[in-house]
Amino acid sequence: MRSHILQVGTSPVSLAGWASLKRVFPLMLGILLNVTTLQAQQVDQGADVDKQTIDLLLRKIEQLEAAHKQLQDRVTQLEKAQHGLAQDSTIQSRALGDTEIAQHALAKDSAPQSPAHLAIRSETLAGGQGGEAAPERIEESKTLLNIRGFGDYSFHGQDQKGASTSFSLGQVDLFITSNISDRFRFVTDLVFEKGRGNNFEEDLERVLLEYRHSDYLKLELGRSHTAIGYYNLAFRHSSWWQTATGRPYLFLFEDEGGILPGHNVGASASGGIPSGKLGLHYIAEVGNGRAPMPRFQSVQNFVDNNHHKSFDLNVFARPEAVPGLQAGFSVYRDVLSPPNSARVGETILDAYAVLTRSKFEWLNEALLIRHSPVGLPRVWNTPGFYTQISEGFGSFRPYFRYQYVNAPDDEPIFFPLYQVSVGLQHGPSLGLRYDFNESVAAKLQYDYTDLRRVQGISQQSISQLALQLTFAF
Amino acid sequence: MRQVLSLFVSLAVVLIQLLSPHRIVRVAVASPRPRTDPRQVLAIIVNRSNPAENLSFAELRKIFLGERSRWPNGHRVVVTMMESGNSERETMLREVYHMNENGYRDYFLKGTYTGDIPASPKTVSSPVILRKFVFNTPGAIGYLRASDVDGSVKVVSIDGRLPDAFDYKLRIEGPAK
Repeated sequence: MRSHILQVGTSPVSLAGWASLKRVFPLMLGILLNVTTLQAQQVDQGADVDKQTIDLLLRKIEQLEAAHKQLQDRVTQLEKAQHGLAQDSTIQSRALGDTEIAQHALAKDSAPQSPAHLAIRSETLAGGQGGEAAPERIEESKTLLNIRGFGDYSFHGQDQKGASTSFSLGQVDLFITSNISDRFRFVTDLVFEKGRGNNFEEDLERVLLEYRHSDYLKLELGRSHTAIGYYNLAFRHSSWWQTATGRPYLFLFEDEGGILPGHNVGASASGGIPSGKLGLHYIAEVGNGRAPMPRFQSVQNFVDNNHHKSFDLNVFARPEAVPGLQAGFSVYRDVLSPPNSARVGETILDAYAVLTRSKFEWLNEALLIRHSPVGLPRVWNTPGFYTQISEGFGSFRPYFRYQYVNAPDDEPIFFPLYQVSVGLQHGPSLGLRYDFNESVAAKLQYDYTDLRRVQGISQQSISQLALQLTFAF
Repeated sequence: MRQVLSLFVSLAVVLIQLLSPHRIVRVAVASPRPRTDPRQVLAIIVNRSNPAENLSFAELRKIFLGERSRWPNGHRVVVTMMESGNSERETMLREVYHMNENGYRDYFLKGTYTGDIPASPKTVSSPVILRKFVFNTPGAIGYLRASDVDGSVKVVSIDGRLPDAFDYKLRIEGPAK
């Protein structure tokens, strides 16, 4: 390259070019310097612009953060307001019609939210609800304590010698439940009723802890009604649920002169049996059984007077094909240890078929009580049954019941231990129930009972008329 | 002569085609079915985490009657009803419970008293609240007009039929909302 220049420089044309180059060179140099300066100025100016932009953006971010915080605060306020509204009025987790001592707590199974929920929530927040508020957490309220009450008053009279017409306070039953957790429930029937003499007496007729494992297994521990047959479990201590003014003679409670072990302290398992449309269920119990003591102390709440426990199995069907039908049987077995005498085996067999619908009821139940003292070949059998039919016509519900029980004269348990003379008793009852509203009803019932071999009663029959006012609260 | 024959053959083919059973079936399939108004059917809804896709009508009845307390995934069944005085609830009482309001009330009151039923249904005041409740409660089951359902809950079919099926059972009587 250098040689070429030298060569060019040596020619006349080259000399003229060199002269022009010398003139152009300062110009080019100036331009170059100017360009460099301009570039430097542009860089400096760009840096200033970026700084301004950053400042602007930072201010914007601050403004947005402030706005975001305001919105968050507003959303929190709205959520609180809506949550309070939901708890106070909207989500009414009342057990239908139940009187609640309401304490709402967060349901455990409603608390965790899956990612799917969150995704849906995001979608709905983005407008997926078509303008409606997005789904928000609603606490599934749990009632810690439920109280329902049942009570009755009556006015009655009979033609038995020495009896007088009377107003009577019936039982006041406070049915209290508490859902302790998802599977545990506490249940009690606190009953205020007629005690000895003309006084009140309070009684924990049912007090138990329930564990519901599944539809096929529920465990109960405590004191409850013995699962003998149907009536004892279906109506318990509530006259409200009974169509008639009282229980059939066979199913009177121990402290009313009943001949069955109506209550038991122990444990039970119950539930459905996988049986398709047949709808089989079972109840299996083990408990202290009853004591061979006067009827007021026959429920062995704290101590069993012997090692032998009572066993009870109740199996019944509720077939899908006939709504309202329930048919089943139960077997109860215990050994009683009366003081100063031989032990007595007690077996109670019960079979029943009932059809209950909202306007129609037909109850049929028969049982056999067998007492067999150990070492004796003889067995004392006490058979009994009742049938009851009723049909509703608007608020009126006429009903009819016939009952029968026949105990041997020398029955070794009823009279010697419980001072209950049974003999032969049978007869019809005729009544009318009128429901004033969904919580108050009146019943008028006439009973005629034919009596044979009943100690302390010289008459052959007794007629009784009773007017009862029953209510649920 | 050949043209006449071919004309007859063509006519015969057209007639056979018109009268064939396949043609009749096609006509039947193509005939329009009565459309289901989503405002006039009840959709049974569950929480989206619930694996249930279909229930038989008998199962549905047992669930709403409180005779089933657990879903197959172990969650407690929480039946959700709307307050009395709306046609959705009336439809459920008529079609599923086969009860009136008093019968429904007595059924659950007595069931909880005797221990047959673990809990009464939850009661809410509006479809929106019911939908939110089911959305938030894994074991919840409830019902809505099909037009009130959105993606936050899952619709289960009854006897294999979704609410848009022409022979779906849970139809609301009365005016559409």
